[in-house]
Formats: sequence, structure tokens, C-alpha cells
Amino acid sequence: MTVDKARILLVDDNPQNLKVLYETLRDRGHYLLIANDGEKALQLVRRHRPEVVLLDIMMPGMDGFTVCEQLKQDPATANSAVIFLSALDDLEAKVRGFQLGGADYIAKPFQPQEVIARVETHVRITQLERSLEARNRELEGDQARILDAISEGIYGLDAQGNISFANTAAGNMVGEHPDRLIGRDICSLHFTAGDDSPGLSQLGLGENGEPVWRRQVSMRRIDGSSFPAEYRASPRYESGQLQGSVVVFRDISEELASQGALEQARRTVTEQREQLAQASRLSTMGEMAAGFAHEVNQPLTAITNYVSLARRLLEKPQPNRDQLQEVLPKIAAQAHRASEVISHIRGFVQKPAAGRERIALAPLLAECLEFAEVDARSNGVPLELVPLMPLPAAMADSVQVQQVLLNLIRNALEASHLAGATEPVQVSAEVQEQMLRITVRDHGHGLSADAQERLFHPFFTTKSEGMGIGLALCRTLVQAQGGDIGYQREASGISCFWFTLPQA
Amino acid sequence: MTQPQATVHVVEDDEAVRDSLAMLLGSEGLPVATFALATEFLNQWTPASAGCIVLDIRMPGMDGMALQKALKARNSLLPIIFVTGHGDVPLAVEAMRHGAVDFIQKPYREDALLDKIHQALAIDAEQREALEQHQGIRERLTTLTPREKEIMRRMIAGQANKVIAIELEISQRTVEIHRSRVMHKMGTHSLAHLVRMVMSVQG
Repeated sequence: MTVDKARILLVDDNPQNLKVLYETLRDRGHYLLIANDGEKALQLVRRHRPEVVLLDIMMPGMDGFTVCEQLKQDPATANSAVIFLSALDDLEAKVRGFQLGGADYIAKPFQPQEVIARVETHVRITQLERSLEARNRELEGDQARILDAISEGIYGLDAQGNISFANTAAGNMVGEHPDRLIGRDICSLHFTAGDDSPGLSQLGLGENGEPVWRRQVSMRRIDGSSFPAEYRASPRYESGQLQGSVVVFRDISEELASQGALEQARRTVTEQREQLAQASRLSTMGEMAAGFAHEVNQPLTAITNYVSLARRLLEKPQPNRDQLQEVLPKIAAQAHRASEVISHIRGFVQKPAAGRERIALAPLLAECLEFAEVDARSNGVPLELVPLMPLPAAMADSVQVQQVLLNLIRNALEASHLAGATEPVQVSAEVQEQMLRITVRDHGHGLSADAQERLFHPFFTTKSEGMGIGLALCRTLVQAQGGDIGYQREASGISCFWFTLPQA
Repeated sequence: MTQPQATVHVVEDDEAVRDSLAMLLGSEGLPVATFALATEFLNQWTPASAGCIVLDIRMPGMDGMALQKALKARNSLLPIIFVTGHGDVPLAVEAMRHGAVDFIQKPYREDALLDKIHQALAIDAEQREALEQHQGIRERLTTLTPREKEIMRRMIAGQANKVIAIELEISQRTVEIHRSRVMHKMGTHSLAHLVRMVMSVQG
């Protein structure tokens, strides 16, 4: 086995011995250094850091034991392997040599082969040790760099919760140099005792030994201020014994703030959608106002007539009580009818209070159709509800569902009217692919392929007076409920608008 | 032929409005007939129908305007009072252009409505009377002989008996006899009245 070139220091006060040693090792390919006393030996080791020192014990002045002792005390020289050379063949000297950190022992007079074999062995061992050390240093350096580069704070804790390691990020976050955090108790340093503060068991130091993850824990900095933190604590075991834990933590105040901002933005969008829906309901009301005026005027007209009649009856010399008794309930009935129309309008324009909730579709559809009856009359197109199979409840905002359905029905009535169709507009509901599907069919002219494609886009309209908001808003409202909306032309030429709602 | 009674025909789809109006008009002593649909009214209409129509402008199926057109096509003379809602003024104007007598907005005051109805009934009576007179004049004219018609034409043109006698080469006495027959057959004693009667059917 070949050995890399090594430095070998030969130390002996006897020039003859040095010469023999030199001759023995000369051709082995190593650098050979020579010293004839202890002081010189120490100097050379410090300067050249030889792998192996062949060290005579019995020397005038500083003896070999002292040299060895001093070499081993200095970390810079401790890793040179010392092989003692001595005529002393007593056990005591050998033991002392080993106690002082000697690596081996060669008795004088020595055999060249033995010297070579032992030197080579220790050169190899020392070289391996040194490369291992270098590698270790490298790894430690890498590890330290990685730990310092990580943006999360990292604490190593011992089993009692004392900090044994802190990375740069940890120091930055808590406002202290990492070195000055070592040895301090994490609990008293960062947490205020209380219900919410984590104890040792929540720092990975509990008996169960499970990793712990916690979020939104308040951590105190060195200056006394606090920040919201998220941490993960993993227990560290060695041979089944809990040694401590590693706590990785980070400041989540920015995250919470952006989460808050996101939440705020979401609320704003919801509010705006709600406002748009409300505005659209009011605008629908405006469009339907003439129809409603008519609806209210009918009972008012009847009431006026009945009242005039009643007054005439009373003006007669002998009022006809029977006739009066016939008229009064009719007046009451018409007054009730007028108030019904008004409460319908209120019900439709009113802001929804509940948002999404369980709703039964059948009464909702019936109510909506009754409401749309006004438009059916003014368009001269019949409107009918296809008898429903029993349906499961939907999870939706009832006011918005009515708004969407009313919009589709009004479009259908208008389309039928424009086409001069006399077939009724039909509304039906069924369960399809786990969703509740509501369909409005009309016998109008239908839509071109181009129109179908852009139908639900904002500001697209086929009506001369339309804004192109209706269907786009319908889609927004339906999608907000977790449903979808669409158009298809059935083979029979019937136009069919549908939308879906999730089941409760 | 018995004269049909002048009746207020109420054509209105809303049951309550129809019922209340019928009762109110009934209390006024007016004969009333009610119809829920325009077609229902049209089916029972005859040229002899008399009175007026109180017609709702908005109705399912055939609406008020369509009924007005259909009646016009049948030369109906029944005056129509349109009943309209708030937003229907343009429609009402259109209806007036097509010959409606009047319109009234719902809800209306009874006085206003009754006034309009009485007016319409008066118009109808007048028209009907004029029509009957015309028919009488036409019937009488058919009883005249060609010679008598010739004499009458000249009388209306203002020719004196003497002129007529010379131009027709007959005696003045014969002219006088024809003349008194014309006056008798036309049922009048005054030349002025005769002129008016003949002008009215020729106009």
C-alpha cells in the first residue's frame, strides 16, 4: 500500500542514532526532519506539522515525555503521532508514554523493518485523521453556512429547554447575537407564562416525543416587544434517550397582515358583487315598474269603484244592507291584493340577510313565477312551471337565485314575444350530476353561434336597449354559489337557458 | 225590428275591476254587459249593438287596440272609452287617432268616468238617430218616380215652377201636382227642409 508523501521528524540527542534512523527511512519517499534536542523538536513540529514524530525519551535538557506532553497540549500540534524510541524496555516507561498521548513505542536497538512498518502505519493513520478532520471542518462550515442562510430561526435545545445552538436568523428575529443566546432557557427568554405559552412538552421535549407544530404563538424579543410566530419542534434522540430538540421558527406578522389584506379584498369583492346584484335588482324593478303599476292599479281601481258604489248605496233613502255587505269584503280583498304585489316587490329588492342557506326550490320557483306573471301578461306570453319531481334542498342565497331565474324568465318572455310565439315559456327543475338544475325554455328565435359564445360576457347584448350586464351578473351570482350557467339550443329549436346549484 | 237597448259594454280582463265597474254602473241605472276577453265581445257584436264600450287597453290575447281595429273593419259605430294604465299615454293617443272617443287612466274618479260614459252614450244615440233618419230619407227617395226625381232635382237647384214647366215642356199645373207629390212623399212642407234632407244623404 502506497502512502502519500509525509513529514517525519526524527528526534535523538545521539547523532549515531539519528543517522541510522535517517538511513532507514531515507528511501521511503518522505520528507525527513531532524532535531537533536527537545526544544528544537517542538519548534519544528510547530512549523512543519509532521505526521509522525520519532521521539527519543532519554535526552539531556527536555526529555521525550515533556516534549510529547507539550505537543499534545497544543491543539495545533496535538495531531502529530508520537512514536517513542528508547532503550528503556520497562513497562512503566511504556505506560507513561501512552498516558502522555504517545501513539506507539519502538525499543532500541530497533529493527529497520519494524521502524519502517510502524512509521508507515502511523503516517497513514495521521493522514486519515487529518483528512477526516478537514472534511469535518468543511462539513461543519457548510452546515453553519446553511443554517445561517436559512431565513427561519433555528434553535437547538437541550433536554431542559436551554438553548445550545442558535442560527443568525434566530438572532435577528429575537434581536440578540446568536452567541449570547446560548445557554439561556427558551421558555423564560421568549414566552410569557400563560395559557397560550408553550411548555417543554410543546417544544418537542415532552414524554411522548412527538414533533410539535404551532402557529400564531406570541414570541417575546430581547427588547420585550413581541411578534406572532409559527414553529416546528422536533425531538432529538440518541440511543433512545431524549437529548433535546430542534425548534425551527419564523415571524409570521407579514403573512398574517397579507392574509388580512387578502381577506379584506375578498370581503370587498363579495360586497361589490352584492351591491351590483342589488343595483341590478333595482334596475329590473325599474324596467318592471310599468307592469307593477298596472298590477297595483287593478285592485286600486276596483277599490275605488266599490267605494263609489258603497257611497251611492248609502246616499239612497233606504240603503240596501245586503248589497253593502257584499261590497265591503270585496274592498278588503282588493286591498289585500294590492299589498301582496307591494310585498313581492319588497321581497325582491330587499338585501339578502342570510346569504347561502338551505332552501327548498319548489316554493321559491313558484314565488318567482308568480312575480314574473306581470311580465308574462305585458308580453302576452304564457308562463308555466313544469310539475316538479320531489327535489332535495339546495344550498344557495334565495334572493340571488330568484334574481337569476327572474332574469332568465324575462329574457325568455321577451324573446317569445319578439318572435310572436304563443307557446308558453316553461320553467323546470331536476337533479343532474349531483347538482340541482333549473331550466327555462322559450320558443323565441334563439341565438347565433357568435352570440352564444359571448353570451355571458359583460357588456355583450343583443337588445337595442340592453346594457349587457344581466347575464354576466347571473353568471357571477351563480358561480358564487358554486353552480354554473349555460345556454343550449335543443333539437326542436327551443332555446334553453339553465343554471345549477349545489345540493345542501 | 226591435231597437237594442243602449248598453255599456265593459271589456276588462281583471275580474275585480270588471265586477266593481259593473256594480257601480248598475247602481247608476245603466244597462251593463261584461266581457273578460276582447274576442268574447267581438263574437256577440252586431251592427245593431248600441251604447258604448269601456275597453281596457292592456289585455292578454287580443288587446284593446286590436279590438278597436277589428270593430272599425266591421264599420262599428260604438264609441270606445279606453281605460289605460300609467305608462300607456302614447297608446291612448294612438287609440284616439284611430277614432276612440275618449280615454281614462286607472284608477279613475267615478264622476269622470260616468261623465265620459254619458257623453259616449249621447254620441251613440245621436249617431244612431242620424243614421235612422238617413235610412228614412233614402227609403222615401226610392218611392219617387223618375219624373218626380227630376222635378225635385230642379226644385232643389232653385228653379221656379214656370221655368221647370217651360224646360220640361209640360204645363205649370202638372209641375205643381208633381211638386206636391214630392213634398208629400218626402214628408215635409218646407223646401228648405227638403234641401237639407237630400243634401244629408248625398253628402
